[in-house]
Amino acid sequence: MGLLYLVALGIALTGMVMLDRRFGLFFWRSARTAAVVLVAGVAFFLVWDLFGIGLGIFFRGETDFMTGLQIAPELPIEEVFFLTLLCYLTMNLYGALELLRARRAERA
Amino acid sequence: MSYWALNAIFLAVVAAVALAAIVTRRAPRWASVAVALAVVLLMTAVFDNIMIGVGLVGYDEAKISGAFVGIAPLEDFAYAVAAVILLPSLWALIGGARDRRSPHAARTNHAQTSENAAQNSNNAQTSQDPAQTSTPKGTGDA
Repeated sequence: MGLLYLVALGIALTGMVMLDRRFGLFFWRSARTAAVVLVAGVAFFLVWDLFGIGLGIFFRGETDFMTGLQIAPELPIEEVFFLTLLCYLTMNLYGALELLRARRAERA
Repeated sequence: MSYWALNAIFLAVVAAVALAAIVTRRAPRWASVAVALAVVLLMTAVFDNIMIGVGLVGYDEAKISGAFVGIAPLEDFAYAVAAVILLPSLWALIGGARDRRSPHAARTNHAQTSENAAQNSNNAQTSQDPAQTSTPKGTGDA
């Protein structure tokens, strides 16, 4: 069982939460909206993944870096965390850009 | 079905959500979306290459176009495009749009008080029409 990829994703996600908390970017800007957006986003990408796997377009690689735990055939548990990271990163970025813009406008 | 055909279906869903945000005048700020897109595409180029390089994922060569960025199929970048358009559109649609307020308010208020926060920062007039105002104070051409 390889934990490397899962741990790397966990560290990156922790960083996202810390940035969110420090600067009020996503959950610390509007917790309810963030929860809906994050769950909807991860669910959307999981369905996309499942169709890609079902159609035989892509599949889980054979590697020692993953736990081998799967939530569906060819869909590793790590993918849920990867998609969560993609969504959190996107909304932290968007939130940061909005915050910068608001600060510039306030100073003007 | 090819990877591009699959992507077309899901990108159509993304486009529909973005369109819904636009017609209800709750669109996200596209300038911010564009900058986020550039960053997420760049990060996808780096990390997707690493992930494929170490063998986390494999592809059926008959179902991908054969266009690559390094060793990453160009089709993979559709996820980045989708994330950066879909999520801010959802955010703005669901109520993030009512959340336009000053950075000070952003640090001292949470979700349940977003309505109050909008009033406290004297920008209540922008709260119903965020798509048409480019600053929290509703200045500019207003």
